Amino acid sequence: MVDPVPGTGSGLLDRYRPVGAFDEAFDADGSVRPTYSRIVERFRELDAGEIRRLEKLVADEFRRQGITFTVYSEEEGTERIWPMDLFPRLIAAAEWDELARGLSQRVAAMNSFLADLYTGGGQAIADGVVPRWLVVSSGGFERNAVGVRVPHSAHCNIAGIDVVRDAGGRYRVLEDNLRNPSGISYVIENRAAMAKACSWLFYDHPVQPTEQYGQMLRSTLESMAPGGEGDPHIVVLTPGIFNSAYFEHAFLARSMGVELVEGRDLVVDGHSVYTRTIEGLVKVDVIYRRIDDDFLDPVAFRPGSTLGVPGLLSALRAGTVTVCNALGNGVVDDKGVYPYVPDLIRYYLGAEPIIDNVTTYMMWDPDQRSEALGRLDELVAKPVGESGGYGVLIGPHATEQQLDEARATIEAEPRGWIVQELVHLSTLPSVAEDRLEPRHLDLRPFVLTGERTQVFPGGLTRVAMRRGSLIVNSSQGGGSKDTWVLAPETP
Amino acid sequence: MILARHAEALLWTGRYLERAETTSRCLNYAANSITHLRGDEARAEGELMVRTLGLQEELEAVGPLESQPQLVAFLLSDTDNPGSVVSAVIAVRENLRSVRDRIPIELWEEANGLYLRFPFLGHANAPPGGLHEVLLMVRRACLAVSGILNEGMRRDEGHAFVVVGRMLERSIFTVGLLEASHSDARGVMDATRMLRLTSSLQAYHRQHGNAPDPDGVVRYLLHAPDLPRSVLSCLSRAGEGLTGLGANAPALDRARRKAALLRARLELGEVEEAMASAPVATLQDFSVQLAGLAGDVHAGIVPPLAMATVQAQYVRPGQAGEPGHAGERARPGPGGSSAAGGPGHAGERA
Repeated sequence: MVDPVPGTGSGLLDRYRPVGAFDEAFDADGSVRPTYSRIVERFRELDAGEIRRLEKLVADEFRRQGITFTVYSEEEGTERIWPMDLFPRLIAAAEWDELARGLSQRVAAMNSFLADLYTGGGQAIADGVVPRWLVVSSGGFERNAVGVRVPHSAHCNIAGIDVVRDAGGRYRVLEDNLRNPSGISYVIENRAAMAKACSWLFYDHPVQPTEQYGQMLRSTLESMAPGGEGDPHIVVLTPGIFNSAYFEHAFLARSMGVELVEGRDLVVDGHSVYTRTIEGLVKVDVIYRRIDDDFLDPVAFRPGSTLGVPGLLSALRAGTVTVCNALGNGVVDDKGVYPYVPDLIRYYLGAEPIIDNVTTYMMWDPDQRSEALGRLDELVAKPVGESGGYGVLIGPHATEQQLDEARATIEAEPRGWIVQELVHLSTLPSVAEDRLEPRHLDLRPFVLTGERTQVFPGGLTRVAMRRGSLIVNSSQGGGSKDTWVLAPETP
Repeated sequence: MILARHAEALLWTGRYLERAETTSRCLNYAANSITHLRGDEARAEGELMVRTLGLQEELEAVGPLESQPQLVAFLLSDTDNPGSVVSAVIAVRENLRSVRDRIPIELWEEANGLYLRFPFLGHANAPPGGLHEVLLMVRRACLAVSGILNEGMRRDEGHAFVVVGRMLERSIFTVGLLEASHSDARGVMDATRMLRLTSSLQAYHRQHGNAPDPDGVVRYLLHAPDLPRSVLSCLSRAGEGLTGLGANAPALDRARRKAALLRARLELGEVEEAMASAPVATLQDFSVQLAGLAGDVHAGIVPPLAMATVQAQYVRPGQAGEPGHAGERARPGPGGSSAAGGPGHAGERA
């Protein structure tokens, strides 16, 4: 523990103490890191009443616009106002450049692997980089995707890579999301709300803008049109207004200037996909789908699903339409495949990974399993097929009984689990009633790949709202922060 | 080119927006007039209001009206009643939400704001304290939404569908009002009441003096070309909207022709002539024609050009309607032919 940070103003930060994790704003002796010096100064000028006023401004803005997300309880979903903490996250220019290079590298390798796996004959498997049994036993491996060619071999057009900073402040990849990563709309709305409520905070920071995402995404999707057509007809496919990310789907369609469609708006005829309009059928070239693989086409996948488009797979095979992200990306999201990503980077790119994984034990390896289960109370166990923080067991927070049950479950089904070293996620000052306290956070940057790869500056910073909690998922009570990537300072 | 689903959602937005405003106005009138009516008179006025709004079936499900608070709850806050103000507000929001990507952001925000301002959402049958404040709020918000629609939305097909929906709903209400007024259980036709319920009292006074006679008012509400709520005005604007949808939507041709035909019947005096001998039967017939027009518009949007057959070849027998996963709660769509019904019956998605 360190001494309290000396305060000058209202005392919001007077009792701020880093909690043993890497604090991004204050170093271990309590002095402010240079990147944060001006923002900390600004917050010291505020008092609790002012903070409450600003929080209300932001909440009212989100409520008025209907910026919500849905929490599914046992019976039904509840709409909640999107929670944003006022203290922003800052990333210095040089730090971001390094991180962005690492993200591009990782996504490039995973795209190479997907292209190799589905249309390239599986060289990486043949060369023993990833075990064949592991790939074909993955719930995300999609046999229907084998042989379906994708323009530019870009299987993952929109990736959300969850990164964290460990106790030493080093970035590490915690999880890859190559299927339907969500959250980008909140990044942009967070910025808009911050700019409205706290414009004065931006005055002395050269912050990179965020409103260009619609253009970036549109140009990425345009480059994915079959045959490289000039002005492709792009649509965003949503499960509908009851989906928890519906707000985001509408946001993306609007910011790209394209139509938001549901499965029932589309029809397949003669191996082409069309929208149903009041004037007849209009051919579609690119579908940015926000529906999981299983629900895309009831003919090929779940027969009972009404979300998708009957016959879509036949159109995909005929090459008349591109579906983004491609089918079968879930194999790389599989946490069982995650430990191999550094090797995939070395194999395809001939380079060392710029961002490391979190140290991970593969439960199907008997030696690693016995070591990990022996000290499970210090580690984190994760089911390979889940996301959103579901099913995760955090050893130090678990009871003896929970640990025993987890050990038995893992022994019974080793392929279903990985165990990782516990990362004490970095912290930042966050509003806790009448002062700022450290809260743990992660970061989900977004990487777009079509003809070329672009990393969107910043990303979604998720923050655990409860003291000491390491769970940042919004579905489990997490909040968010505006994320500022600073432009290089001109002398 | 507008998606058929979007066209449908915007059509219903127009209808429900009009319904929210109309029901608020009617409820305001009923709440004011019932205070000085006693016993049976108050009950008769309440029942007439329900008939005017075409909500007899919905009322049957609740039971007979016993008190003014019951009438208020039924028309204002009963989410089981698709003709209540709250149901209309919810339906406007849900429909706009499903087309959120193609409407002005301010339009969505205003509709969402109205929904959020309902202090008793989720507590059906619990009337709020300040009835007049709530009704005023609803009518102001409806006007704000109309303002954004008129001034902030591109005159595209989507805009045309909202206008068509509003005009259909409005003409159906006005004809329903005249029909109910002719069959008032108290045996008199209240000319002022008809004018108040269509926000036309002031306009009538300026044009025809302040001693309205019932027959003159009926003519006025049917034929006045410059009155926004007259049936003729509504049909003119609906016809313009349908024409604006262009020649590329052939399925809407029938609706275009029918709107022109109904308008001609009014303009040529055919309706007035028939009214002289059999007013109720004439108005009933006109209601049926309007419902048919609404049905044709709906049918023109929805049968996406025989593509149902294309889809049918992919759907295996017994497959349709099977439950999907939890995230797949399908929204009930407007119910086929019932879309042709009058206010309160028409294709509810509540």
